[in-house]
Amino acid sequence: MFFRKPTREEQIHGGPPLEFERPIPPAPWRGITVVITILVIAATVAWELYARWLGYSPTINDNEDLWTMARRKVQPESIVIIGDSRAWFDCDLDEFQKGLGKRPIQLAMPGSTVYPALADLADDKNFHGTIICSFVPMLFFAPPGSPPMERAEKTVKRSHNQTPAQRVSEYLGIWLEEHVAFLKPDDLSLEGFLNRLPIPNRPGARVPPTFPPYFGTEDRERRARMWEKCAEPGSELAKQIQQIWLPLFTPPPPPSYIPPDVFMAGMKEGIQKRFADVTAAIEKIRDRGGKIVFVRFPHSGGLKELEDKIMPRQQSWDPLLQMTKAPGIYYSDFPELSGFNCPEWSHLTAGDSVEFSRRLVPHLRQALKL
Amino acid sequence: MLFNSLTFVVFYVIVTTLYWSFRGWELRKNLLVVASYIFYGAWNPPFAALLFSTTAMDFWLGRKIGKSQTHSAKKRWLVASVCMNLSMLGFFKYGNFLLLNFQWLLARVGIIYQPPHLDILLPVGISFYTFHSLSYTLDIYRGVLQPTRSLRDFILAVSFFPQLVAGPIVRAGDFLPQLHHPPRLKTNQFFWGLALMTLGLFEKIVLADTLLAGPADRIFGYPGPLVALDSWAGVLAFAGQIFFDFAGYSITAIGAALTLGFHLKDNFRFPYAAIGFSDFWRRWHISLSTFLRDYLYIPLGGNQVRPFRMAINLVIVMFLGGLWHGAAWTFVVWGLLHGSYLVIERVIRIFFENKTWAGRPITRVVAGFATYGAVCIAWVFFRASDFTVASRMLTGMFGGHPNGDMILTTRELLQIGLVTAGVISMHWAMREESFETAVIRMPAWAITAIGSVMAFAIIFTQGTSNAFIYFQF
Repeated sequence: MFFRKPTREEQIHGGPPLEFERPIPPAPWRGITVVITILVIAATVAWELYARWLGYSPTINDNEDLWTMARRKVQPESIVIIGDSRAWFDCDLDEFQKGLGKRPIQLAMPGSTVYPALADLADDKNFHGTIICSFVPMLFFAPPGSPPMERAEKTVKRSHNQTPAQRVSEYLGIWLEEHVAFLKPDDLSLEGFLNRLPIPNRPGARVPPTFPPYFGTEDRERRARMWEKCAEPGSELAKQIQQIWLPLFTPPPPPSYIPPDVFMAGMKEGIQKRFADVTAAIEKIRDRGGKIVFVRFPHSGGLKELEDKIMPRQQSWDPLLQMTKAPGIYYSDFPELSGFNCPEWSHLTAGDSVEFSRRLVPHLRQALKL
Repeated sequence: MLFNSLTFVVFYVIVTTLYWSFRGWELRKNLLVVASYIFYGAWNPPFAALLFSTTAMDFWLGRKIGKSQTHSAKKRWLVASVCMNLSMLGFFKYGNFLLLNFQWLLARVGIIYQPPHLDILLPVGISFYTFHSLSYTLDIYRGVLQPTRSLRDFILAVSFFPQLVAGPIVRAGDFLPQLHHPPRLKTNQFFWGLALMTLGLFEKIVLADTLLAGPADRIFGYPGPLVALDSWAGVLAFAGQIFFDFAGYSITAIGAALTLGFHLKDNFRFPYAAIGFSDFWRRWHISLSTFLRDYLYIPLGGNQVRPFRMAINLVIVMFLGGLWHGAAWTFVVWGLLHGSYLVIERVIRIFFENKTWAGRPITRVVAGFATYGAVCIAWVFFRASDFTVASRMLTGMFGGHPNGDMILTTRELLQIGLVTAGVISMHWAMREESFETAVIRMPAWAITAIGSVMAFAIIFTQGTSNAFIYFQF
């Protein structure tokens, strides 16, 4: 029942303050709430069962707060893994711990540029540990303002500005994600559903690239493992992701509003600047007694062909090692590191990542003079 | 703490359960004070001290105003309160802005001055709680409110967590009387409050963040020229985003307050069905527009002055309203645009108000859409990071970039079109009534169905805890 219907003047504001009460629409609100609760619980349980039927299982989702949680664990002499999703999927922390004597901290961020994390460690005056840095040219040289750069900057910024509320939300979120399978924002959310609608775009539209669907799990240490459904030989999911990598790793055409020659000159300048910035950051770390090693992780198929064509080793990897004077491990230089199959062309399966890490350890020890 | 976060869900459940479990009213009020400071301190604990100091000062100044025997003494204490509040706001919010503009002015007369960059972190919601607090001393001075004897009650009036950081701007005079007697737990009120919270979170998480924020951000962040369709789509997306974001916050706040037995007034009343700009400001951010009306426009003379002076007053009020939103000239231009709209509307009224065709439905609809279009044009300045972006957007909207880029997907265009059509239709359908009266007409099964869809959509969307736009103000 209405307590009292407020006048129009009061509804708008400025009515007598003592007499103001919000109207409550007369309806069986208790019953409505009970029925809504039952329906929503039923729908949520059904959605959860459907997600599990599709093969999804509960796993933590990667986000800025999880990275921040890992970043907080970095001690002055820690071994830290930075870079992109290849370092994230392909490094097994147990094998590294066995071989290197310390459990590394996983700070690689999928789909991101490594520089912001490297600069953050360089600016951390306490840090003088060891860095294992993945190198994927298209991500490594991503210009300022590009999604890989923005993603990394946003994440690093969060680690400095995280509020107590965000910290608590992260712990609660982890607990939920470890128990609920449908919590997969990339796939099983409204946005994921809308993204998959088969609606053709306008010819000539410069629309953002499609990102791969969910294909990996992650634990509290940010150790990623490829989902079995993707790892199966010839799986449909792996084939689908292969076709997503190609446009994603193909440089977009120069913007219409900048003359192509000016744009290309800017890109070249940007690459030189990135080399210089990375070198400066590494020098800072070295001055404090820290070490770094670059690693080129396995990739294969059409993606390898594309990467080699766009950024040949002679124009990216070789100058990087030359300028930074850092050791590097290029997987194809070593027979024991070659020959791994990446089902979706970019990452190793969970099983292969363990074997690869075991074989990588002696090379890391040698490069880092451990 | 964000309403759309897991932390808030846990916080709210604990606070509400404890609140209704406690018998003593004083104990409950103490609980709300502690909870509100935890809510605020969860962003940045030291700023809770700033909130407390502002509140304590205004409490003390309010008593001084109340006790003063002469008008001049009252005025002195009021000036002290206004200066204290505005200087706090000025330092934290406008410090760097003022320095940069001072540097620019000096450069115009040939003096090169490099000001130090003040590394000032803006306390979240400072514009809101400053106004909550300031309303207290202003109303005591105006003689419409007696100073409260309880510092704790005043602290609660300023910091009550549902409305603390993003409004509605609840005047102390509206809230303090509600602290005199303990509210009873009324079942329908409690569940209606929960229903409002669900609606508010649906607006924020599903409509604002998931359907509109992405395209709006991409369009306003794109560094190149855009064709008219994409430019307009970006602006319409932002118009919808800011409404659902802010109205969603307000409704959640009103709902949360209701579940605790408190009544907050409406902050929005279907603004995109406004016919004219006076009407728009009676429907959009009502708590701010009435604050500016009562404490600024009316003291400046309001409508009781000559037309030219009234026009100047309107522009001054909207100029300050724009500046209240942010320390940037783009916000000032947004405010000045609205000030100009209001002046133009008054002029049009003088000439056409008595014409028979002016009251015809078709005229009203056309006027309504013209209002919406003009409001959208003003939103360009509100959202653009600088005038280069604003100028590029406006040029694109009016066909100045026929060969510009198309960057939205067809799906996003459809999404924006459907949500925009939906919000405008809803606002027109309900423009003459309150939300509650619209709900009354609905059968219980329809309320249940809509409530269930909204609650499940919130879960299905798996929001990412994006901050509310108005937090930055």
